[in-house]
Amino acid sequence: MTERMRESLSALMDGEADELELERVLKQIGDDGELRATWVRYHAVQAVYSKQAVPDLSIDISAGVRDAIQSQATSGARRWQGLLRPVAGFAVAASVATTVVLGGQQLASLNGSPASVETDVAMGVSPVGMVNSLGATSVRASYGTQSVPVLQPATGTAYSELARQRMQRFAQEHAEQAALNTPQGMLPFARVQRITE
Amino acid sequence: MQRLLPRFPLTAQARRLSRWLLAVATSLPAAALATSCPGADPEALKWLDRMSRSSHQAAYHGVVTLQRGEDMQVMQISHSVSGGSTSEQLTKLTGQGARIVREDHPLDCVHTGHRLLQLGAALGAGECGVAEYYRFDVSEGERIAGRQAVRIRVEPLDMYRYGYLMELDRETGLLLKSSTLGRGDLVLERFQFANLSYGSPMPSSADVEVTHEVLGHPLPDSAMSAEDLQGGWSVDWLPRGFVLTEAESATASGRRTFTDGLAAFSVFLEPLSREIRSGEGIAREGSTLSYTRGLSLGGQPVLVTVIGEVPVNTARMVADSVRWAR
Repeated sequence: MTERMRESLSALMDGEADELELERVLKQIGDDGELRATWVRYHAVQAVYSKQAVPDLSIDISAGVRDAIQSQATSGARRWQGLLRPVAGFAVAASVATTVVLGGQQLASLNGSPASVETDVAMGVSPVGMVNSLGATSVRASYGTQSVPVLQPATGTAYSELARQRMQRFAQEHAEQAALNTPQGMLPFARVQRITE
Repeated sequence: MQRLLPRFPLTAQARRLSRWLLAVATSLPAAALATSCPGADPEALKWLDRMSRSSHQAAYHGVVTLQRGEDMQVMQISHSVSGGSTSEQLTKLTGQGARIVREDHPLDCVHTGHRLLQLGAALGAGECGVAEYYRFDVSEGERIAGRQAVRIRVEPLDMYRYGYLMELDRETGLLLKSSTLGRGDLVLERFQFANLSYGSPMPSSADVEVTHEVLGHPLPDSAMSAEDLQGGWSVDWLPRGFVLTEAESATASGRRTFTDGLAAFSVFLEPLSREIRSGEGIAREGSTLSYTRGLSLGGQPVLVTVIGEVPVNTARMVADSVRWAR
């Protein structure tokens, strides 16, 4: 995967891609396994933002994405191209992204029983010393006719909490480096909520 | 040679030699870049050079405010120079009463981030430095803390760093005010001097609960790229211009810090005792981002955290590139 492709992908995920970048990513994603994998990983972040379920990244859903793309492609490259032009880039990106997320959820439901998913989530954060006080549970929600286990914001919330805890733990160590290597002198220490000796 | 540096105390001569070698090594690609930055504003680069030197070499003290959203902190900063070394301290006057002290910092010790700004002669030779990834615009500034300022607008040329609006003391180059700008010029953080005195010693200081003394400081002897790291783990992708802040041996721990001269971020790696559900999360305070990702790295569950003053896509991509060293 090239640097440029990475940038296009990142821009796409941030809703900043123009049509050209979108086209570049779509053209490449069918052939580039690494690009697909990266896409899936980036997607987890957006899922956290928007409090959607986080797709289980241990499952390789790239095949699903490729199938979705290819089925669109085989229905006529021209139709696919035609689809791109009139539709705003964002809408197309969103629809492809949705395929990714839904694919992940469906595969998750195939992979294990809801009970095992629940255990994973409930226990999942304890190795890093966080108490599961967030009520991380899985619930069954239906999507269309298919019953899909959806992780309510639990995983996302747990990770936000982890990120917050990491900030508290590491902020001072980062500030010591920032104070030596950025123009504001000692100021980075003021960003640390609680200074420890 | 780099590996041996911190293990044996080097003579000043040897250290100078190693710096010279490094300078020669790094100036080779720079020569090739001589014509690659026609848009660089030499005046802005000169001001950045001055700013970087004055922050370390000038003697000053004053009251500084730091605004992050609704939150405003007030602190005292002092920086003094005596006998070839500097001592500085920051005392928080609001919130937690804390003081951070750094003593005996040699005047000739230029850390990686500042070396990226102090182009000096290299600037004359056509090196672009930070102008390769930022665009600068210099204009007349207003008065800040009673001092006439020069304003430098700093726009990132890619999506991996924030922009800044910096105001420098026209006489000394000292950074008087700085705003960190996110997308759409949203102000994420603003700090500025409320008053400032040069030279005279700082008046008696406030009560504090905690004093943190920064003991020693890492050797800034090498500015390596990520690929040079050996042992443990490495960060395989960095936005252009970011380099390690410390020599290799100092980073044998679970942290790597990178700077492009204006921004810095640190990457932390924590091995976990057992599997964690993969996922990602972020927390923000002002311009500081904490991005945490749980993943399995070569079968070993780990938590990768990026903390720094960079956008989330930078943190995401950096975390994405963490690997065990081959």
